[in-house]
Amino acid sequence: MSKAALREEIATRWLLRQSEPDWTDADASELEAWLEAEPENKVTFWRMEMGWQELGRMAALRAPTPPSRVPVENFSEGEFEGGRGLLRRWWPAGITALAASIALVLAVPQFMQPKAPTAGPAIASYATEVGGRETIPLADGTKVELNTASKLRAAVAANSREVWLDDGEAYFEVAHDPNHPFIVHAGPKTVTVLGTKFTVRRNGDNIEVTVVEGRVRVTGSGPAATATSAPVLTRGAVLTAQGDSTLVAAKAVTDLADRLAWRQGMLSFDQIPLGQAAGEFNRYNRRKLVVTGNAAGMRIEGSFRAENVEAFAKLLERACGLRVEMGTDEIRISD
Amino acid sequence: MIDDGTLKHWFFREIFPLEPMLTRYIRRNWRDEDEVSDLRQEIYAKVYSSARGALPLNPKAFLFTVARNHLINQSRKGHVVSLDLVADLGASPVMVEDVTPERVATGREELRRVQAGLEQLPPRCREIVVLRRIEGLSAAEVADRMGIARNTVDQQVVHGMRALVDFMLGGTGKVRRPASRRAASGESE
Repeated sequence: MSKAALREEIATRWLLRQSEPDWTDADASELEAWLEAEPENKVTFWRMEMGWQELGRMAALRAPTPPSRVPVENFSEGEFEGGRGLLRRWWPAGITALAASIALVLAVPQFMQPKAPTAGPAIASYATEVGGRETIPLADGTKVELNTASKLRAAVAANSREVWLDDGEAYFEVAHDPNHPFIVHAGPKTVTVLGTKFTVRRNGDNIEVTVVEGRVRVTGSGPAATATSAPVLTRGAVLTAQGDSTLVAAKAVTDLADRLAWRQGMLSFDQIPLGQAAGEFNRYNRRKLVVTGNAAGMRIEGSFRAENVEAFAKLLERACGLRVEMGTDEIRISD
Repeated sequence: MIDDGTLKHWFFREIFPLEPMLTRYIRRNWRDEDEVSDLRQEIYAKVYSSARGALPLNPKAFLFTVARNHLINQSRKGHVVSLDLVADLGASPVMVEDVTPERVATGREELRRVQAGLEQLPPRCREIVVLRRIEGLSAAEVADRMGIARNTVDQQVVHGMRALVDFMLGGTGKVRRPASRRAASGESE
């Protein structure tokens, strides 16, 4: 008889046991030992796990209950594409064709990028509180949505468009104007566009740019930065910069939806470690999640209301069996 | 060393979707149909072990090179395959383009594939799989609801998942149950 069939059966039984409410740490280490025993075990388990996850996505698509799906307008494909991503991950990243109205990207010489606004249009400052969210209409028709705990300055008029993201995160829907590039200064990076949709997130010198539509050019501000070597990002691209290092990754449309979930007041996680998820919640809430021990590495997925940190903690307690201590200033989670 | 999380997603994204091609390739070059799934599993394991050092730039070419080498090595061990087959395989590197390319499925098509896979399960098996995974009930809850033993629930879900994954990855969705009782009792090796 087939060794493969037997191994597949055992792998699937592990997968099922893992999803039972009485799954324990001891079970987890037993599984770990089995996975490590032979590479065949591991790949077989993964193969079944992929199908298991895939099937689970159907639950998300069917569920009429909470707004776990983030409607993202302007994505050309239907609702299923907005469904969470394994469908996508199965196949080489299916980034679909760019929107028809592709903006040309202008190279902006360094001397045109002042370090701080000096002349030109008046500068307006905007800021949001922790947990706040605000939509700002700019004079040129551009719409900016500021996420939690963010600071933005804008010097925008009909003939000159520049903003400075001093902290936090913002989503831009830039009004198309081929003659006047829209420039976002975010610490060490400068983002230049003519008319597109994208987000910029800044935490000190760590910058993340996600392109939702059109084309975006990101340049550094150091002497080494030249317009020609600067990456031009298209839809689905995510640029992450930390100091001088820059990484560009292509994301599926569904990942974009996750990244924009905050516009609906949601946080959407796709198998990220709990520690990281807690960091995301903490951006939105004064009452902080503190995760200690092995719990921090546990992977979670799902969509949650960003401001309802208590509901999230209770869910962890009930569904994952973690220990949760509710304090007034912080919620401590451990295993 | 590439960590397992990265490798797993690489398998999800780059390797498993090639399974229909891989299965055809093995079947074309191997006489004994009963050994196809064993060989496929071993090839995945070898891909895993080699990719741990560094992720190959061209996953498809890499997968089929590993597959070819494995088939050659196995046939040299010599109880199944004739030597002229080894010669055929060994004569030239795998021309990946020769292998019928899979059309890249859209997300919606993939979802239909999952649905079609579910639909071709036996009705009771399907019902149990849906309750367990899509409705999110535990095995005990499914057993209660349907008035059957918990063991039966597990057995049905195991069988259903194996068939479903086979179908989603280009197979017929007909999988054989292993003969051993050991697996059925849920005991690991």
